[in-house]
Formats: sequence, structure tokens, C-alpha cells
Amino acid sequence: MFATKVLRQAAAHAERTPSIRFIGKRTIPASIDHSPKPHPASPTGSLPPSFTNGSSHSSFSVYRDHAQQFGPLRKTIKADSGIGGVPGSYLGPVEPPKGVFFDRNDLPARFHRQPLTAAEIEAIETGGAALVA
Amino acid sequence: MLSQRLIGRTAVRSAFKPSGLPSVVGASRWGRTYATEAETRDLVIIGGGVAGYVAAIKAGQEGMKVTCIEKRGTLGGTCLNVGCIPSKSLLNNSHLYHQILHDSKHRGIEVGDVKLNLKQLMKAKEQSVSGLTKGVEFLFKKNGVEYLKGSGSFQDEHTVKVQLNDGGETSVKGKNILIATGSEASPFPGLEIDEKRVISSTGAIALEEVPKKLTVIGGGIIGLEMASVWSRLGSEVTVVEFLDQIGGPGMDTEIAKNIQKILKKQGIKFKTGTKVVNGEKGSDSVRLNVDSAKGGKPESLDADVVLVAIGRRPYTQGLGLENIGLELDERGRVIIDQEYRTKIPHIRCVGDVTFGPMLAHKAEEEAVAAIEYIKKGYGHVNYGCIPSVMYTFPEVAWVGQSEQDLKKAGVNYRVGTFPFSANSRAKTNLDTEGLVKMLADAETDRLLGIHIIGPNAGEMIAEGTLALEYGASSEDIARTCHAHPTLAEAFKEAAMATYSKPIHF
Repeated sequence: MFATKVLRQAAAHAERTPSIRFIGKRTIPASIDHSPKPHPASPTGSLPPSFTNGSSHSSFSVYRDHAQQFGPLRKTIKADSGIGGVPGSYLGPVEPPKGVFFDRNDLPARFHRQPLTAAEIEAIETGGAALVA
Repeated sequence: MLSQRLIGRTAVRSAFKPSGLPSVVGASRWGRTYATEAETRDLVIIGGGVAGYVAAIKAGQEGMKVTCIEKRGTLGGTCLNVGCIPSKSLLNNSHLYHQILHDSKHRGIEVGDVKLNLKQLMKAKEQSVSGLTKGVEFLFKKNGVEYLKGSGSFQDEHTVKVQLNDGGETSVKGKNILIATGSEASPFPGLEIDEKRVISSTGAIALEEVPKKLTVIGGGIIGLEMASVWSRLGSEVTVVEFLDQIGGPGMDTEIAKNIQKILKKQGIKFKTGTKVVNGEKGSDSVRLNVDSAKGGKPESLDADVVLVAIGRRPYTQGLGLENIGLELDERGRVIIDQEYRTKIPHIRCVGDVTFGPMLAHKAEEEAVAAIEYIKKGYGHVNYGCIPSVMYTFPEVAWVGQSEQDLKKAGVNYRVGTFPFSANSRAKTNLDTEGLVKMLADAETDRLLGIHIIGPNAGEMIAEGTLALEYGASSEDIARTCHAHPTLAEAFKEAAMATYSKPIHF
């Protein structure tokens, strides 16, 4: 009995264990550090400072120049960029100078009198009879 | 009525479709209805070479909306169009020609008048190339990849402007952008490449006649492969190499010396440790003035054609990197981190245009890994385990570290070699030149490097690469049964020689 046990143990030690072993199904590690590190084939083994300061932009202003939201954000508003392109404060005071009055026609179109059609004029002139004639 | 109107409107829209638009594979960007903001793609890839097209297919398989921009007009980049693939066609067929001409008689095959038909040789090459590039286009369709034929350049960090090959311009927006613009042949200062008399590797696969004399500047892999092709076809070839060894800096010194002897026997002349001072282009010849790299007697070499094969450089021309503030390193490579991100994290870069060896299979690995990083947050490329192959005859292949690397690093190692002259299959094939050399850690027996010269070294290195990737010992290989009679037995015997003793040598 004892001799067999010793032989078995000796055989177990003599058995070669290959370096290649099945280590199980590949899985994605539970925690991965995504912070930028030098590429393994990088000759310098280091990253430029622009990688490591957490942002590729030196300031918020620079970031905003590059930021995207339904297209690039416009930081600088230019005079030739149409309605809304120039801030209201640039357009001068809203109130008319003393003794000057705005004509209704100087106001935006929505404040103008509604134009009358020929049918409406006729309806008014005939006291509404033109509508049923 | 309404339906008639709609049909009419569609017809009008179709009528206004710009003429000469590029062939767009997959979802059509011209099929949109009203004037809306262009759809933002999950991934925009600039470059349809090996790195770019593999990334595009992988991304398509992962369910991403992908656009790939390529300006060449055919997919596959340098590798498929003017690199690995056409050169392999020429290497294979020139080897057959050479073998029929010089080697068949003593094998018991007598052939009549053997003639070279260079035009047909080139046609066979073009057929291989067009078949493969069209195959990639089919894979694009299969995986829903939109293919834009044109030159892409960054407009801003999310928008790539595309100058279409067929005229016109469009732009495409991407949540992620992948730079995969590859590399181009480095020029030799003062010697303008005209692809007729002074050629790059692109011209070397498309010569219209066999040059009487060919001088190759650079004894790296590309230079030696092309030297082999034209030497077999009848050129008198001289290779000028600045370093003291051929095969480039990655090749094991013992292997480099060995293959140089073999290629010399085949008729290629070598001038190692020699510097090309300058070159003069005449009407029908080119003269190179060379000098010993360590200082010596100047010499002139005359040739009908000079091949400049001094390496390749990253290609970023016209990419508009200045518009997004991306810098390059001192060798023109795009700087990336371990997840292929540039300093603008949604812009990644893979392949020849960034760090690492300029090899197609390395670019493929990176392309898959980059997509996995985007999609799954995890990818894998082992840069210590990328094989290199030189497709001369016999082939030379290696993976891992060379003996000079290990000596430099002060690693204690064991060497085992096995010559093909002692391999039964090599004997029957009458191709006995070459050897398998293995390097393993002296203490742990873990494999550190494998170097092969042999008729099928390029195929055999796959076993070594797998072993290295898995961290095998030389004994693991030695104890794995290999079929008899095969060349692969030489691989097993070299492993036996590393940890113990080979049987047949």
C-alpha cells in the first residue's frame, strides 16, 4: 500500500507540465484603466504633455472653438452673419430720440396693418351683400 | 394626384443629382430627402489600405455605421496594389521561371526552349491584384461599409472634407475618426524617382523590360525581394547597403550572413557597409557614386535602372492635421497612446502612419484592436510577437528577439539550430539550404526568438509566433508531434536542440 503511494507520488513529480495550458475562455478584464499611457511601440516611451493633462485643449476658450453641437459652435459673432449675428447692444438705443416718432411702416412687418383684399373691400362697401350675391 | 406629385418631386430631385458622382457602396449619401444635416457616422476611416479596410469591415461587423475614404480608386492600399501582393506574384513566377531554366534538368525534367514573357508575367500579377481588391469591395458591401473614393482631410475634429475623385466635394461627420493613411517610399536625396530609370518599389513591380544592370540602394526586405525577382529574370543586380549586414536591423546577424551567402550564390552582388554619396541620371543609364561607410576608396556604379529601397515614411500629406492641431513625432508619425487614441481621444490612428513596424499584418492587428477599443473598451496586440518575412528563395522569417538583441539586453539564453540539410522532406525536395534557429531563456526555457531560413519559412513562422504568443517553452514544441516527412520536423528538431539534443543531427 505504502509503496504504491510513494510510487504514485514519484510519478506525479516526474510528469512534465507544459508551459502552454488552457487558461479558460477569454474575457474582458473587469476593470480597465483607460487613462492615456505611452503606446507599447513608441520609441520614446512617453506621451507629450497634451495627452496627460486630461484635455487636448489648453483652455475653455480653445475647447469652445473646437466644440461641436449640431455643427461647430460659433464663438465669434460676425457682422455679416445675418439676423442675430450682431448683438442687440451694438444696434444702439431702442427708444427714438426726442421729437422723433417711429412710423408704423418702419416697424417689422408683423406690426404693419394687415393688407385688405379686393373682396374684403367690396364686402365692407356693400355691407356684406357682396358675400351672398 | 398626390402620388403623382410625389413621383414628380422625386424625379426632379433625381434630375438634380450631381453628375459624375463617385460609386458609393452601401447606404447612399445622395438618397437623403430634404436639406438636412449630414448623418453623423459612428466611424469615419481615412485610408482604405490594409489598416483602413480591415477596420471598416470589423466595425461593420460590430454594427457600426462606417464610412471609408480612399483616394487610390481601389481598396487595399500599398499592400494589395503596389506592395506585398504584386511582389509575391512576381517572386513566385520568377522563381518558377528560374527553376525551369536552371534547376529542372537535374531533377529529371527536360524542357525545350524556355522563354520569358514579361508582359504575361505582369498580367498575371495584375489579375491577382484586381481579384483581391474587388474582393475587398465585396466585403465592404457585405458588411454595410460606405466607400467614398476621394481624398479626405480634416475640416474640424468631427468633420472630414472629401475631395471626390470624380469631381466635386462632400463632407462626412464622424463620432469616431480613424487615421489609416499608411506610408510611402522614402526618396533618396538628390536622386529624383521617375519610375523609369530611378524607381521605387512601385516602379520595380512594373518595369517594361528586364534591365541589363540593376542597382538596388538598400539591402532591406523590399530591396532584396526585388533584387531576387530581376536577378532571376536575367538582370545583373548589385545591392548597396549602408549597414554591415543585409535584411534590415531586425534580422538576426547569423541569419543575415547566411542568407547573404545564399543570395550571392544565386548571382546577386553585395556592397555592404557602403554609402551612396550621390547619383547622376544620364539619358539611358544612372551612375551612383559610392564610398565605404567607414571611409574608403570611392567607386562608381553604372546601371540601367536604380531601385531606391531605403525604407518608407509615414504618409500624412493633405490630411489637414494642422486644422485640428495634431502633432507628428520627429519621423512624421502620428503620436498615439496605448489605445491608438491621438490627443483628441475620438481620433485614433493605426498602421504604417504611426508607431511600430511598417508591416501589413501589424496594421491588421491594430485595426481590429482599435475597433474593439471603441466598441468594447478592450483590444489586444502583442508587439513582441509580430513576425517578419522576406520572400526570397529560400525565405527568411523571424519572430521575437534576435541573438544580438538578447546579448545587448544581457539575457542569459540557449540556442538550438537545425539545418534543412538534415531534414528528410527538404532532402526529397532538393531544397536543403537554410536552418531553424531557436533562442530560449536559459533558466525557464521560455522561447524568446525564432529565426528561419528555408523554402517555407514564411509559413513555418506561424507555429513559432503561436508558441511565442502563448509563452511556450522549447520543450513544449519538442514534445509536440509533427508529421513525417515534413519541413516542420526541422522546427521540432530545432526545439529539441534548444532544450536537449536533436535526433537527426
